[in-house]
Amino acid sequence: MTKLDDLLAYEVVEGLTEGQFTAEDYVTTIIKRIERVEPKVHSFITLDTDGALSSARIIDKKIKEREDVGQLAGVTIGIKDNISTQGIRTTCASKILENYVPTFDATVIRSLKVNGAILLGKLNLDEFGMGSTTEYSRYQPTRNPWNLDCVPGGSSGGSGAAVAAGECTIALGSDTGGSIRCPSSFCSVIGLKPTYGRVSRYGLISYANSLEQIGPICRSVRDLVMILNIISGKDALDNTSMSSTPISIPSRINKLNVGIIRELITDCDQEVAKLIYSASEKVKEIGCSCEEVSIKNLHYALPSYYTLASAEASSNLARYDNIRYGFDYPIGEYKWDTYFSNVRENFGEEVKRRILIGSYVLSSGYYGKYYLKARRLRSLLKLELLELFKKYDLLIGPTMPILPFKFGEKIDDPIKMYLVDINTVIANLAGIPAISLPVGFSNGLPVGMQIMAAPFEEQKLIDASCELEKVINIPRRPNSI
Amino acid sequence: MSQVMIGLEIHAQITALNSKLFCSCRGNYRDLRPNSNICEICCGLPGSLPIINQKAIEYSTMTSLALGCKVPDKIMFYRKNYFYPDLPKNFQITQYNVYGISSMGIDGKYELDGIKQIKISRIQLEEDPGRIAYSEDGMNVRNTALIDYNRAGVALIEIVTEPDFTGPKEVRQFLNKLSLTLEHLGVCDTLLEGSVRCDVNVSMNGGNKVEIKNINSFKEVEKAINYEITRQSSVYGRNLKIEHETRHWDDKKKITFKARSKEEEHDYRYFPEPDIPVIVLGNDFVANLKQRMPELPNERFERFKSKYEISDHTSNILINDKKLADFFESTLKLHFSPVEIANILVTEFKSLIDDDAESRDYLKNLKVKPEHIAELVKLIEGNKISRTTAKDILVKIFESGKLPTEVVNSSNSYKIADEKTLMDAVQSVFDSEKSAVEDAKNNREAINFLLGKVMKFTNGRADAKIAMRLINSKLAEH
Amino acid sequence: MISKEDLEHLAQISRIKLTENELEKFPTQLEKTIEYIDKLEQIASDDSVTLDLHELEFEELRKDEIRISDEKQLGKNITEDGFLRGPKMK
Repeated sequence: MTKLDDLLAYEVVEGLTEGQFTAEDYVTTIIKRIERVEPKVHSFITLDTDGALSSARIIDKKIKEREDVGQLAGVTIGIKDNISTQGIRTTCASKILENYVPTFDATVIRSLKVNGAILLGKLNLDEFGMGSTTEYSRYQPTRNPWNLDCVPGGSSGGSGAAVAAGECTIALGSDTGGSIRCPSSFCSVIGLKPTYGRVSRYGLISYANSLEQIGPICRSVRDLVMILNIISGKDALDNTSMSSTPISIPSRINKLNVGIIRELITDCDQEVAKLIYSASEKVKEIGCSCEEVSIKNLHYALPSYYTLASAEASSNLARYDNIRYGFDYPIGEYKWDTYFSNVRENFGEEVKRRILIGSYVLSSGYYGKYYLKARRLRSLLKLELLELFKKYDLLIGPTMPILPFKFGEKIDDPIKMYLVDINTVIANLAGIPAISLPVGFSNGLPVGMQIMAAPFEEQKLIDASCELEKVINIPRRPNSI
Repeated sequence: MSQVMIGLEIHAQITALNSKLFCSCRGNYRDLRPNSNICEICCGLPGSLPIINQKAIEYSTMTSLALGCKVPDKIMFYRKNYFYPDLPKNFQITQYNVYGISSMGIDGKYELDGIKQIKISRIQLEEDPGRIAYSEDGMNVRNTALIDYNRAGVALIEIVTEPDFTGPKEVRQFLNKLSLTLEHLGVCDTLLEGSVRCDVNVSMNGGNKVEIKNINSFKEVEKAINYEITRQSSVYGRNLKIEHETRHWDDKKKITFKARSKEEEHDYRYFPEPDIPVIVLGNDFVANLKQRMPELPNERFERFKSKYEISDHTSNILINDKKLADFFESTLKLHFSPVEIANILVTEFKSLIDDDAESRDYLKNLKVKPEHIAELVKLIEGNKISRTTAKDILVKIFESGKLPTEVVNSSNSYKIADEKTLMDAVQSVFDSEKSAVEDAKNNREAINFLLGKVMKFTNGRADAKIAMRLINSKLAEH
Repeated sequence: MISKEDLEHLAQISRIKLTENELEKFPTQLEKTIEYIDKLEQIASDDSVTLDLHELEFEELRKDEIRISDEKQLGKNITEDGFLRGPKMK
């Protein structure tokens, strides 16, 4: 019998509805685990254990009275702290929103609640989603449960770590340039960035709104499918959202043509490459073909990403002037101009850098040089990928070019940090779905493989991931924690 | 002769909308308690997203078509980035054509009543910011901003003209015609407080353009232009240069003054709004809209002329006052006598209401309704009352709201056609105007004088034809 | 390439006050980033193709209906009359 706090989401739902345990038992176990683990890992910014327990009791009551409890009954969820939760402080890991309590739930939160999910709290991230290690959080960094001296990845570091450390059954993250997939890879869990438009962004606090999506992080493909189906859907409150077909767990899969991206393999660390090659053998084992492909425009992807993301960020973050909401900073005798600047001094360094770059690239005279070119590259890249997807069902490669690294290793050189995203930004630029699957360890440090598909072809991702999960058997929970 | 070039940039709220441009808050924010007409979207709360209003696209497209513009197949929105306390997101969602045509309309033409055409550069859709009031702390004017977001997010149509105007009169004419057109389309009620703003640019003698902002009603535009032309003329007169600058109109002091130069240094860093996809209007969209569009003033004018056969002059008066024209057509529904009804409306009726014409609902609040006029005209045409009597009756029903028949009955105003009664009246006049009677034998004028006296004697009720006949026959007797 | 003046100008248009430390190290850091994105220069300028992610049909747009929001949206700093208090304008 699996320990309660090791149960996967679908096992929780089954166990609950079969009466094997109560929701309150389950949540209490998780809370105890959090108490043991949090001091080491620090995944959460805000915990709402009271709220979680009271939700659990409501579910238990409903089960007793044979009422419908929803498809996620009893499943505990951690929410990345850039997703609006009504009545629960939402900080984006920034000082600027230290006291911000939203008056509305994000659409995805409403969907989860309606389905009986239990919100545990808000998870740590790089400030406003800008970063790849969670070191830029203004509320202390999160540590990698597999090696506490190493970063958990970012920007959804809290989400990746919490799931890996068993502090919640599943988590939600957001992915603008790899922010779900990076921590999933570094923490040896599964994370999906959906097709742009599949999941409503209403309530996601914008960093780069033409690039980002909310997505699930969990420990099994089956869990992932459950969550994805619940949070997907066209939303009247998000003009960029579109309708999609629900995903199912396949009983068997058709032969898929897989391309392994040459540039990503040759440019990554040896240890990572080794594990990816092994994984590609497994891909063939499950009945798929696998051959090398090349993406011509790949080398421009990162500069294009940073241009567009910074530009959008500089505008999306302009609203934080502390007039309508924010943190404790009295107006005093300040003139409005000076007040704004003084308030915004409280952004972290990385956020400031990106806003400044964003203002720069959008300035008159530079718009054609950077922004328009970045948009053009985006179209070229997308066209190139769509062309590849005519021949290949899936494109694979390492999620991250390197192993999880130690705190402080890259923080002094922004470019070094940006280069870490090189594999993941492609999917955001092209708006295509991408998943990170754990494929092994090197020196105890996790490595993930990224699989990408054409827009709205998540089913193919799931098909392959399901089968791979069966043949690539690796621990999803560090025993040390 | 100094050559004046004037261009306009008009912002008109789409007062016809129920909700705001990007959210479902009320579009009419007037008279509401501050910050009671807001939601997370128009306040720009983190995580909120703009949701474009379908009707706004329709109304702004109709406006583009009415101004002769080309409407693109696909439209897009852009962000205009600048910081200001009345702007909840510190950017405004608007439209921009520099990187490709994507606004509601371009390259339009608007005729100024046969004199010339004004080129319309572009028409775009954008959101209104909130409002800032200032608190004064007794003796100490602290100038703390008091912000109200009730208006933030209301839909605006921006109309920009080429500098084709050569003087303030043309501008006034254009604005009157534009108001009329907007009224006919139902898009904007220009008499509503704050519903229209107009920026003007003025250049003279081929010199630099001066922009004048903060003109808050169409009425003030003419004054501002006149002031600015005088000001620029005197500068040129002293052999000095006019700088390219922005000035503000002070409607209390009636002057333009230089705005602080900081306001001119905006780099708005425009880029496409990522939260709103490209909107495809579709091939049939414009054609469908043209069919469903309300009648424009020109069209209505032609229709009045051909269908009702009323004179150009009368038609013009009616067309230029939409509420009057509507009243006219409502009356026609009750009694089809266009020439007679139109005549009354543009003369006596109009002079009675002209005092109130500026008030918004002046026709709605009138006691006189189409039924009254219809009945009045029936009485005239049925020869029951004279035209003179009708004038008096009209004044009475304006005050009381009673129907004409009731008034005529109670004041005993029916036409007198009875020969005996008329003969008595004629006799009475002959008795008192002996010298005129003598004159009348030879002088046509004097006969009219006598008729006038008979009308007076009968309080205007005498049937003029019969009275005249009786007068002539009595004169013949003498 | 990024002078202190350039940096101060960018900070001003972004309404961000920079600390002493940031004023010191940002010019070099930003310069490096700009050098990196300069790679984009190699991409040909061509207005023909912009594959936008999305298009909306007119029929899909929101209907013009009123929905009154019942939540108090502005938490802090409200006067008796309902205005939001802001900093001095002049």
